[in-house]
Amino acid sequence: MESIIFHSVLPNVFAAEPKVCSEVWLKDIELRRGEICLVEAESGTGKSTMCSYLTGFRHDYSGKILFDRQDINSYTHAKWAQIRCRHISLLFQELRLFPELTAMENVEIKNRLTGFLSRKRIEEMFDLLGIGEKRDVRTGKMSFGQQQRVAMIRALAQPFDFILLDEPVSHLDDKNSQTMATLIAEEASRQGAGIISTSIGRHMPLPYNRVLKL
Amino acid sequence: MIWRLLRQHISVVQLVGFALANLIGTLIILLAMQFYLDLAPAFTTDDGILGNDYLIVSKTFTTIEGASRTDNSGFDAKEIQDLARQDFCRELGSFTASNYEVSCSLGIDGMPAFGTEMFFESVPDAFVDTHTEQWRWTEQSDVVPIILPRTYLALYNFGFAQSRQLPKMNEGLITMIELNLTLAGNGLRERMKGRVVAFSNRLNTILVPQSFMTWSNDRYAPGVSSEPTRLIVKVGNPTDAAIPAYTESHGYEIQDNKLAASRTTFMLKVIAAIIIMVGTLISLLSFYILMLSIYLLVQKNTYKLQNLLLIGYSTRSVSLPYQLLTIFINATVMILSIAVICFARDCYMDILWQLFPDMPQGSMLYTMLLAMLLFLLVSAVNIVAIRRKIELIQH
Repeated sequence: MESIIFHSVLPNVFAAEPKVCSEVWLKDIELRRGEICLVEAESGTGKSTMCSYLTGFRHDYSGKILFDRQDINSYTHAKWAQIRCRHISLLFQELRLFPELTAMENVEIKNRLTGFLSRKRIEEMFDLLGIGEKRDVRTGKMSFGQQQRVAMIRALAQPFDFILLDEPVSHLDDKNSQTMATLIAEEASRQGAGIISTSIGRHMPLPYNRVLKL
Repeated sequence: MIWRLLRQHISVVQLVGFALANLIGTLIILLAMQFYLDLAPAFTTDDGILGNDYLIVSKTFTTIEGASRTDNSGFDAKEIQDLARQDFCRELGSFTASNYEVSCSLGIDGMPAFGTEMFFESVPDAFVDTHTEQWRWTEQSDVVPIILPRTYLALYNFGFAQSRQLPKMNEGLITMIELNLTLAGNGLRERMKGRVVAFSNRLNTILVPQSFMTWSNDRYAPGVSSEPTRLIVKVGNPTDAAIPAYTESHGYEIQDNKLAASRTTFMLKVIAAIIIMVGTLISLLSFYILMLSIYLLVQKNTYKLQNLLLIGYSTRSVSLPYQLLTIFINATVMILSIAVICFARDCYMDILWQLFPDMPQGSMLYTMLLAMLLFLLVSAVNIVAIRRKIELIQH
């Protein structure tokens, strides 16, 4: 997948608002593979909503979103499963981990589907992000910051053309934030993929070549 | 791992409740069907010659008419067509009578010991429901197969043989005796062999295969044709009020005992149908319970299911654990119900055999097929419903 196009997209919840000031909503923008884009926004302006649209979880908008010039509203459930597995990876703001599974199992449940990472590489990532000793701990018993890093590894356990990071460093210190940014930048660069990161203030330290105000 | 996530919130009580209710519903349906299949032959195959939905129609004639207008006792083409057009009539066949002389003798050591003049009739083979292989005749056949009314044998045994101190004969003995037939007409007089192959309670005639009748009428009475005096009618519902209304208004009569047996079978069908309907209702309700508990389960696990779908699992793979669960329950119900039916059948068949010793063995094939069909149907609906429900949570 080479590009994501927003064509006069407006979430239905904003339809009643008299004036929408945004560089995304109601605009024609194209996000290209390989670009590193920061979407800055205040709370409640639709960051997570945008991520939900791009992963086919919500469709409550007017206008058109196109993947490679194809309207995503025409996609079937099977097509979306394929997109989520192979083309778009998402680090959810609310993480969406399974609290009853261990950190390693949470990554494996994704990696088993894609077969993308080796067990060794997963362990390396755990160590790199400073949660190596938490591998066999249930995520329900981990801090939000630790869970954020587990969710990060899970998001990397697949091939992708774009990776969406919904407030990825909200609960991380600068050091971990930097480590995570390096890991993602390396992985995206290796795959030639685009990064779309959202932020309400602190943002992941990445060499952004585009900043959009939502 | 997926199963570990999705099995949470499964209510064993609800699923056992469904399985029990489904078992009861399925059992009622299958037992009613099996019981009907086992019992129906006791009424339908009491002489093995005609099926039960056949009526024999003849004209009513009074003594005066019988003496003066004998030529009016046959059905003409117009009357036959009119009867065939009636809604209750599925198929119609005519009795064909022999138009030549027939005499029959029994020989002992080559000497004729017992002789009589007689006649033959035939009906189209499709109406003769006899399973015996002997009911076939071709020009190459040595022996003409014959079906006799059972009353003839009673007449001989209890009337004639009794008064003349002749030996009594049973059915088995008669079917072993070769009859010497003499057929005469068209300037020919030829001898043939005949053999009684079966007895009928219902057909009051001496029946030969249609092929023989066609051949012999052409040979011994060419060009002679006579109107059939009796018709055989296959009806959908023997208790249809239109049948007596039609026959009475046209001055026809229907053989009574035939109708009585038909009614018994029909009532059996009605009762079986009612029981099957009750079973179906219970099955439908149990199916409803299952769907509710699965829906509830999906609802309780919505967040997990959403997460699995969002990390790339397909609807199919996420639905699969629940679909396999219902298939497992449905298969258990099917196997259990077949086992219970086998046991129940063993119990009631002993009683039925005491009541109807001639009843055939029967088989459970159709019931098993129905059980499989129910299993497939319920499982198919379950599979589709679960998938739909899971697709819905993505929006």
